[in-house]
Amino acid sequence: MIDIDSVSVTLGARQILDDVSLSAPSGKLTAIIGPNGSGKSTLLKALCRDHAYSGVISIDGRDIAQMSPLEIASLRAVLPQSSNLPFPFTVREVVAMGLTVGRPGVDRRALHHLPDEALSRVDLGGFGGRFYGELSGGEQQRVQLARVLCQVWEPVIDGVPRYLFLDEPVSSLDIKHQLMIMDVAKRFARQGGGVIAVLHDLNLTALYADTILALRDGRVVESGPPEAVLTDTVLERVFDVPLRVGLAPRAGTFVLPQSVRADAMSAA
Amino acid sequence: MDSTMSLAASGARTRPDGDRSHIGRITVIALVFALLAAMVLSMTTGASGASLGNLIGSLISGSEGADALRDYAVIVNIRLPRMVLGVLIGAGLAVSGLLMQGLFRNPLADPGLVGVSSGAALGAVVIIVLGGTALAPFTTALGIWSLPAAAFGGGLVTTFVLYRVATRGGQTAIATMLLAGIAIGALAGAFSGVLTYIASENQLRDLTFWGMGSLAGATWIKVLAAGPIIFAALVVAGFLAKGLNAMTLGEATASHLGVPVQRFKRITIVAVAAATGASVAVSGGIGFVGIVVPHLLRLAIGPDHRYLLPASALLGATFLLICDALSRTIVAPAEVPIGIVTAAFGGPFFLWILLHRRSAFAW
Repeated sequence: MIDIDSVSVTLGARQILDDVSLSAPSGKLTAIIGPNGSGKSTLLKALCRDHAYSGVISIDGRDIAQMSPLEIASLRAVLPQSSNLPFPFTVREVVAMGLTVGRPGVDRRALHHLPDEALSRVDLGGFGGRFYGELSGGEQQRVQLARVLCQVWEPVIDGVPRYLFLDEPVSSLDIKHQLMIMDVAKRFARQGGGVIAVLHDLNLTALYADTILALRDGRVVESGPPEAVLTDTVLERVFDVPLRVGLAPRAGTFVLPQSVRADAMSAA
Repeated sequence: MDSTMSLAASGARTRPDGDRSHIGRITVIALVFALLAAMVLSMTTGASGASLGNLIGSLISGSEGADALRDYAVIVNIRLPRMVLGVLIGAGLAVSGLLMQGLFRNPLADPGLVGVSSGAALGAVVIIVLGGTALAPFTTALGIWSLPAAAFGGGLVTTFVLYRVATRGGQTAIATMLLAGIAIGALAGAFSGVLTYIASENQLRDLTFWGMGSLAGATWIKVLAAGPIIFAALVVAGFLAKGLNAMTLGEATASHLGVPVQRFKRITIVAVAAATGASVAVSGGIGFVGIVVPHLLRLAIGPDHRYLLPASALLGATFLLICDALSRTIVAPAEVPIGIVTAAFGGPFFLWILLHRRSAFAW
């Protein structure tokens, strides 16, 4: 369980996050949604200790402020929005960096094939020998996910769950790979690990999230199961545009944006 | 026949695509032999006719002729310390360059280019000029280590200032870094200039000789003064490889991977300043080793620091010994300062990087 308790972040005179609380249990995929500048990424940065914050964030009851980088790294992995590299690493070398944290008790030889397995899982089998810098943005994003998976390959070790923090994991991916990556994340959660993902796509959120935290202007508008958060009224309060949440007979919940200007549609 | 073929094929397949660790390992081993060869070259090259073979022969036969004594003096008191110093300084400069490139996430960072050497030189100049007077307590207390210690201090301050100026949020803008380096270098040069102005005639000779960059004055005292510092920096650098790899993904990601980033940066800066400072203190400014060696190796074995670090130390030492041998033979019996030889290789190489690989730096 990741517990975020009354976390606030100020940057200069600006309050980026104001008293945000959230419990993200292991075994679940927790989505953070909200408009640009609502504090989603800042919240994730606080979770990663990249940003100073007030309040308490704990992993399974332990305050992360009291843990060493190495301890935290053995419990959670973080997918950044994008990464460029100054040196010509191959794809496999990048993925193998996920093994920077050693696995106590695991044979190093056993780890040797992990990067290749991780690459297959993100549909990049056979890409190991390519240069990272020569891949498209979406492919680079999946390479980074493979690296992150390497770091927390087993969702649970000795009964201790591990966590994936994903910052807009599908933002530069095509629809097939969006689904594939969300499937990887969901599977990680189903196997007992915890996932916290910043998501922009409300339909993917509807499809995959077990819990949703909706932020606006650094404050929690609503949090809870999808049926509590994905409603017309809540989403309109969060995003400040008209949205209609529907239930398709076979596909489940969907969110349909409505034009902000009523005359735009009729003019077309 | 068929079965051996398929066995060989399956053997090849167990090495995954993109895994270059075997190239790294082979290169490191090959470079060990290259360094040994360069060491032999260094011991057998020089203005005097002293021959290592003759010396070993006379040691074995027990003869103690005048020639044997002279050869012994030349080889043990002149060439051997020079070779040891060449190995340490070559390795130290190459590794310093590599560490800075990793720290700044930038293949063009080099202690010589960005003012760290100038800062170290200022520290050394301060001791040469003021060591007998204003700073006498310091030089008496530290003895032969006062010069390397002062150069280390100068290097440390400049590296730290450079890092603070050129790096924002874990990202270093290449233009800012190079410009800050020019500014720091100019400032250090100005202070050195003032000190040169007030230096006595003897001190001036010391300064000129030292400033050209040379291994010619190598003695066992200098080995003892700079050697342990450079050696310690090299040992420390050996533990930084995985962290440097992680740092190439950016500071935030390195920290997510478990690297204690702030402490890691401090250790790296101290190691760079120690190796550069101690090298500058005993040999003056020898440029380009820190940029040529890591760059060539990155082309050959890739940027994985686990192999790049030992390979850079070995190739740096080999490169400097070869340059030193050249410096002793080009205009024999006189000597060209080794800094001129490394610059003659490094300058064109640097231009070549700029011409052909500019796109790789995204500026």
